[in-house]
Amino acid sequence: MAKRPQLAIDTRPWRDTANNKPFVRIRNVTKKFGDVSAVHEVSLDIYRSELFCLLGGSGSGKSTLLRMLAGFENPTSGTIEIDGQDMTEVPPYNRPVNMMFQSYALFPHMSVEQNIAYGLKRDGLPRAEIAARVAELLALVKLQDYGKRKPHQLSGGQRQRVALARALAKRPKLLLLDEPLGALDKKLREETQFELVKIQEQLGVTFIVVTHDQEEAMTLATRIGVMNQGEIAMIGEPTDIYEFPNSRFVANFIGSANMVEGVVTEDEPDHVRIRSTELGCDIYVGHGVDCAPDQLLWWAIRPEKMALSREKPEGLHGANVATGVVEEIAYLGDISVYQIVLESGKRLRVSQTNTVRGNPDAITWEEQVYVTWGIDAGSVLTV
Amino acid sequence: MRKGWFLPIAAALGFSFLYAPIVSLVIFSFNENRLVTVWSGFSLKWYGELFNDPQMLGAAWLSLQIAALSATIALVLGTLAAVALVRFRRFKGRTLFAGMVSAPLVMPDVITGLSLLLLFVAMESILGWPQGRGMLTIVIAHATFCTAYVCVVVQSRLGDFDRSLEEAAMDLGAPPVRTFFDITLPIIAPALVSGWLLGFTLSLDDLVIASFVSGPGSSTLPMVIFSKVRLGVSPDVNALATIIIGIVALGVLAATIIQLRSKPRTQI
Amino acid sequence: MTTRDPTIPPPRRLKPWNAVERGLARVGISGRMLVLLAPVLWLLVFFLIPLAVVFGISLANKQFGRPPYTPLLTTDEGTVQLTLHLNNYIRLFTDNLYVAAYLSSIRIAAIATVITLLVGYPMAYAIARSSDRWRNILLMLVILPFFTSFLLRVYALTGFMRGNGVINQFIGLFGFEPLVMMQTDFAVYVGIVYTYLPFMILPLYTTLVKLDVSLFEASADLGARPIHTFLFITLPLSLPGVIAGSMLVFIPAIGEFVIPSLLGGPETLMIGRVLWDEFFTNTNWPRAAAVACAMLVVVVVPIMLLQKAQGAVVEK
Repeated sequence: MAKRPQLAIDTRPWRDTANNKPFVRIRNVTKKFGDVSAVHEVSLDIYRSELFCLLGGSGSGKSTLLRMLAGFENPTSGTIEIDGQDMTEVPPYNRPVNMMFQSYALFPHMSVEQNIAYGLKRDGLPRAEIAARVAELLALVKLQDYGKRKPHQLSGGQRQRVALARALAKRPKLLLLDEPLGALDKKLREETQFELVKIQEQLGVTFIVVTHDQEEAMTLATRIGVMNQGEIAMIGEPTDIYEFPNSRFVANFIGSANMVEGVVTEDEPDHVRIRSTELGCDIYVGHGVDCAPDQLLWWAIRPEKMALSREKPEGLHGANVATGVVEEIAYLGDISVYQIVLESGKRLRVSQTNTVRGNPDAITWEEQVYVTWGIDAGSVLTV
Repeated sequence: MRKGWFLPIAAALGFSFLYAPIVSLVIFSFNENRLVTVWSGFSLKWYGELFNDPQMLGAAWLSLQIAALSATIALVLGTLAAVALVRFRRFKGRTLFAGMVSAPLVMPDVITGLSLLLLFVAMESILGWPQGRGMLTIVIAHATFCTAYVCVVVQSRLGDFDRSLEEAAMDLGAPPVRTFFDITLPIIAPALVSGWLLGFTLSLDDLVIASFVSGPGSSTLPMVIFSKVRLGVSPDVNALATIIIGIVALGVLAATIIQLRSKPRTQI
Repeated sequence: MTTRDPTIPPPRRLKPWNAVERGLARVGISGRMLVLLAPVLWLLVFFLIPLAVVFGISLANKQFGRPPYTPLLTTDEGTVQLTLHLNNYIRLFTDNLYVAAYLSSIRIAAIATVITLLVGYPMAYAIARSSDRWRNILLMLVILPFFTSFLLRVYALTGFMRGNGVINQFIGLFGFEPLVMMQTDFAVYVGIVYTYLPFMILPLYTTLVKLDVSLFEASADLGARPIHTFLFITLPLSLPGVIAGSMLVFIPAIGEFVIPSLLGGPETLMIGRVLWDEFFTNTNWPRAAAVACAMLVVVVVPIMLLQKAQGAVVEK
């Protein structure tokens, strides 16, 4: 096997933008269909050998952005550069980019080999080289014995691999993948995720993956771009997106979050205090926040970042303890999710790891409990 | 679902209504008697008579030529029209174009025939072309209404066509025209074949339009048959009908088998 | 073209399609225009203009000579004169023959359409509800006559319904008197039903086959008898197919010529036949053109209905 190429995942070039040139530059790209903006003023830099995920719901503009990179749609305004070259006027068949389609788009009248060889033939490669390259790709996706089959004789997972091999055949600098695992069932999807990452690391090709599945994005990506209504809501590494969301949209979209409204009462460089009538207590945050006194803002906290107890715990700075009653318990095996009703009527979701087997002393329905959290457990959000 | 007795019986009666006259026609083509409906023994003599009738043979040959030519012209025009209608979402005059393509489907034959004849006469007096009427004018007339049929058949095939197949080809380096010949054409080929066959049989079958736009000495097969059967039943027409029905039945059978075979392949 | 990889040499062959496309683009001709050009030109010249010519000539008068109608435009001492005659249209409305022919065409086409619907609906429904294996065979059996000659099928009917035809011989075995069927309106109905039945069945089948079986099960589950399920569920949902099929029979039946002239009697008046006689027997081209224009007016509404229904049949 070839030596593992130097990968973006190891060097993280996006953390040092002064010394690293982005491989794909998307500058202020807008795409309108009639009066509707599918993509609005998107700017995005993607670095060589990244595995970048565009994550968003349907209609978020992620697929349109991908199709503009492939050249199937032209931006209404803005520019797309790949490897320093402006791609705006370049038709899809002349771009150093290949795409793996959501439907796979395997040519039904050609065999697996012919499908993979199609792009190479268009480049006018000599026959022997095409044959060698096809064999190499079939080995890469473990379909050596299936070259002569037609697409309709393959299973869904095999088709997916043929589509990948065909898209990789021309050794593109940039591979676009539109919901690459969307058509596979859950079990196969999990296996294929790791295979995809392995192939990407082995070849060092830059991948841009469009997906609506956040778990998939978290597993695959070096970085994720969360899209909402045609705009990029946040760009960051998976941990940034989950632990430090920049907006209420991202906090709610990725995983689940409790969202609480509050007003700033103390605004110091090393901490802030937020009064929340919904929680019935103050929130003490252990870092400064860029805000004005008395400003209304939101505080988001993940269910697993909070703790439940029957006895009233020691308050932190006289804050961070809320009181409520257990209303619902969802037992999921590894964890249990409790829904707590506070006095204000606000409901919090708190998850607890089930460390004790068949715990007879577990907190149960109708019990009064205290909910606590650390001073850096939640995110303060102004938008 | 529970099945009643009504539907099967109704269907059986319907199908016997469709086929009984044809079957009796085929049977009586082997009848020895000149009186078509009185059976007097098996004979092939009407087939022999048919093949010794130069008028009939000449008309058949002319009709076959016309059918092949007009089906081919219609195939090209109808496919182009279908591509335009399915692929070009918006263009100036799209509604008018769509109307022009599909109107010949339902236009009564007498109107189509009369209008084309009047056009040819007017063109001849103004442009000097086409000189007189005959095979050329029939081919033009048939190609025009067959275009509509080809267009409908190809349109429905292109409608189910997965556009990402073409995008994939372009993505792999094929320019649009190359993509059309490499990907689109092979996949819609079954529709093209059935479109051509449909055009061919419709042209072979047409009496009214051909009667208007043909000239002296260019009688098509339906015109000859019509003038014969107008005077009464003639056994050699039975023989001819049997031959045509046989050929068509084989053709449709073959086409159906091809389509059924190609179905799973093209539905990916 | 950008090289993608050092191992891929730049393309050596000149790609003809690229060159052709680039060349045409330079002259300002896009691929779209090329695709549209041929069918648009053809249909313009051989479909739209002929209809205009028909309308023009319907405003001329019959005359002896070639062509057998008066010119619309005449040059008289350098000035162009336009002469329009409305007498063809006046005759259409005043001569009982034409009015009667129109009404009788509409009546015959309408009755025949209803019979075709009554015969075709159960057949289409039976095909749609049959097992997969049978469905294809039955569908082929419906389409097969459509491919056999229309003229020969009408001819086959004459052999069937004649005085000494198959039907009369058959009922003669049981001692019945022979029926007079040929050269009556009845024969024309049978002819239209017989030849246009596939046009009725196919759109009906298309809508019926798409109906989910669970709809009927749900209806039965909610307590509906089969007849109610049919009336309140099946029939309303198949309405686009009913309209499309009916129009596909009604429109061509109005202008039908072969069926009334082979099966109908001398008193069977149909407008297609009148047009034919006006043209071939009386060689009155302007009158024939006027008849055609009036016929177009009659079929325009059904054609529009058809377009709408066909959209619905395909959409669902």
